[in-house]
Amino acid sequence: MGEYKALNGAVLKGDINTATAEMQKAIDADKNVQDIIDNGLIAAMDEVGERFSKGLLFVPQMLRAAKTMQECMKLIEPLLQKGDVTPKGKVLIGTVRGDLHDIGKNLVSMMMESAGFMITDLGVDVPPEKFVQKAQEVEPDIVAMSALLSTTMPAMPQTIEALGKAGLRAKVKVMIGGAPVTENYAHEIRADAYASDAGSAVSKAKKLLGIS
Amino acid sequence: MRKHQLETPQHEKFRRGKRPIGTSVLKKSRTQYVWLNVLPDDLWLKVRQGETVWGALKREGVELESDCGGLGKCGKCKVRVLSSIGPPSKEEEELLDEEELKQGIRLACRTEVDKDFVIHTEETDFEAEYFQILKTGHRPFFHTQPLINKRLITLPPDLLDEGISEMDRIKMVMVPEYQDLVAPIHCLRTLPERLDATDYHGAAVLHENSLLAWQDWEEVDCHFGLVYDLGTSTLVGKLISLIDGSEVAVVSCLNSQMKYGSNVISRLKYLQDHANGLERFHNLLINDLNRITTRLLKAANLQPNDVFIAVAAGNTTMQHFLLTLDPSGIAEAPFSPVLTDGLIVGAAAVGLELHPEALCYVMPTKSGYIGGDLISVILTSGAWEQEDEIILGLDLGTNGEIFLGNHKRLLTCSAAAGPALEGATISHGMIAKAGAIEGVSVEADNVSYQIIGNIKPKGVCGSGLVDLVAVLLHCGYINHEGLLRPPRKNRIESLDSKMIKRAGVYEFLIASAEESYSSRPMYLTQKDIRELQLAKAAVAAGIQILMNDMGIVTEDIKHVYLAGALGNYVDPLSAIRTGLIPRFNPEIVTSLGNAASTGASMALLSKNYWRMANELSDFIEHVELSSRLDFNEFFVENMDFPKGNIW
Repeated sequence: MGEYKALNGAVLKGDINTATAEMQKAIDADKNVQDIIDNGLIAAMDEVGERFSKGLLFVPQMLRAAKTMQECMKLIEPLLQKGDVTPKGKVLIGTVRGDLHDIGKNLVSMMMESAGFMITDLGVDVPPEKFVQKAQEVEPDIVAMSALLSTTMPAMPQTIEALGKAGLRAKVKVMIGGAPVTENYAHEIRADAYASDAGSAVSKAKKLLGIS
Repeated sequence: MRKHQLETPQHEKFRRGKRPIGTSVLKKSRTQYVWLNVLPDDLWLKVRQGETVWGALKREGVELESDCGGLGKCGKCKVRVLSSIGPPSKEEEELLDEEELKQGIRLACRTEVDKDFVIHTEETDFEAEYFQILKTGHRPFFHTQPLINKRLITLPPDLLDEGISEMDRIKMVMVPEYQDLVAPIHCLRTLPERLDATDYHGAAVLHENSLLAWQDWEEVDCHFGLVYDLGTSTLVGKLISLIDGSEVAVVSCLNSQMKYGSNVISRLKYLQDHANGLERFHNLLINDLNRITTRLLKAANLQPNDVFIAVAAGNTTMQHFLLTLDPSGIAEAPFSPVLTDGLIVGAAAVGLELHPEALCYVMPTKSGYIGGDLISVILTSGAWEQEDEIILGLDLGTNGEIFLGNHKRLLTCSAAAGPALEGATISHGMIAKAGAIEGVSVEADNVSYQIIGNIKPKGVCGSGLVDLVAVLLHCGYINHEGLLRPPRKNRIESLDSKMIKRAGVYEFLIASAEESYSSRPMYLTQKDIRELQLAKAAVAAGIQILMNDMGIVTEDIKHVYLAGALGNYVDPLSAIRTGLIPRFNPEIVTSLGNAASTGASMALLSKNYWRMANELSDFIEHVELSSRLDFNEFFVENMDFPKGNIW
């Protein structure tokens, strides 16, 4: 990881110019593509997630870091052969029915994407049927739900129930989050994991899928 | 380094806020009046400056122990003075022990009320606390034309033998204005007896074209109305003279619904989970209002039968609770209430214990989150009567309700600021009551706090939080991204010593164990700052969206009015430094006090304002932020703090 110190630092700071320059340098030096992604970019985003969880950096800084990572990925995408990079897992994500909040959910999507997950984002006010329908279509490893209002939280168990009725519950892990949501609530409604913020969402997701 | 140029001592602030406006009684006499706040009953008494606490309480019927009858001999009429107070009198020094004097205990009969004062009448009751609730607001001058009229009427004796109905006889005297006069059944049933008892010379109580009662003619001067401010956390009642518009008494209490959740959403959640929830909330509210009413009436020596009118203003959910209307629709998108129109109902029908024919006016609302309280604030601000200059108003509590514009166009929105601005979700946050740090300043490199009640600090309320963060930003201990850490240069020793690092993250020591009320240290944590960033970003983004929709920039705004639990107390400079509001000239930023109840009393005192409130609810435009894509963009943009210092 020491190898990409400058790149790591630039992503962490959200310094797009320095990051893309460092990225180009690494590409020109013929480094292994997967290695650049894992140790240059994802490692930096892991650090971003960790600092976010501690409160050392905040939403605007996290967004800028993610944007920086995206810009770096643009440089490397033309070089990627099909199958070069395998996603860590597939995640279906959305804010539940009746709830229009999307910033938290977007941050989680972005951090997961930065960590190498493939994301399908259903947006906000997503009814249980839509979760089920899309889950049948994309066959995700994880279904992630967000609710920012205590009044819309009941849509979470309803969605879990709908997944069960459709015979999907055993095939997916369910993660939940949002300001009023708690670890206890996750137990109560038999979700598989609760994440308190976008940083910890990534590590919880990895843990669920047994990825280090 | 001196912060608040606008800063005034706590009691001055207190005094300024509580001075009633438009009280002609005050204008006539040279006597100065001050407010005496009596705890735990939370009575607000208007007292002649220099009158003793004993005299004031006795006049209002508040019982104190005493053997000597106020001569300063028995030493039993003890009260605890919570405001700052001068040295004890000779009698007090003799009759009270040192510990008592230190605690602020004084003798009511020896204590003159020379400024606005808070006292506690039961020295043992340390649980009851002084809640700093906004009660008095400023209101514009206007011609009073109350919702209820009283008129002296004499029925001529020569009509007595002609066999005309009593009602027709009254009408004949009152034409042409009241030629369609009607009367409710209760009034008609007692009418013959009342006419007889008054010798056909009495005071008619009139509401529109309806005769509500026939009173003794002396009662024409006993003409009062009530207003209720239905806050989610606090309820305020005011007794208003319908003759001169003055505020006779003010009483407030914590909303008993608080134990079912501190905000609207948690109350709505309770309704979802409990079939009888609506009825329960209605009953709790009515009990609170009736209790407030009893105290108000007692202060003016009135009976429930003397009051014929009340006006209530609150957020849409609270107004639904008052009317026992189901507000569940407000819980989820698209946030639909049952009713937005202003409503006139019988006070008895909602459970208010007033005259059986009394009426209750409930303010119009705009939507699920733009309530009668914001409409009242707009009335108070005068924005709708303003033709040219653009006015921005903020009602800051758990939700930040915002309006922008003037008579040509008025935009409103409700920004989900979250409870941080009321001290919730903050490690050592609390609502504004005794022991809350409500203001922070740095002088000669020392941090000093203004604490409600001048006791050891128990926590930080919204205005204290905004002040503290503004001070730390100013001194460089919080950077513009919101990171708490000591600056590289210009460090201040007294602040350095309060910066404590734990697991790589700094915390700011607000008060050490020795300094705090609970003997436990109090901190401002990094996460607390993040909570404030979210709250202020939501408000700032709301302002920005309204400005964009209106097509104006900051400089176009000529007046900024702040209202609500936080709005009235937050220092404009701190609000600007933290980016809660844009960088205005601080001089155009003013507090409206408890504008919700002021607006309601304007409607009470003037049919014109009631009509205006109803027109306003049609006229104002509601911008629903949660469905706006650009909201998120502005929200994130406003999370950082502004960079430059302003003092």
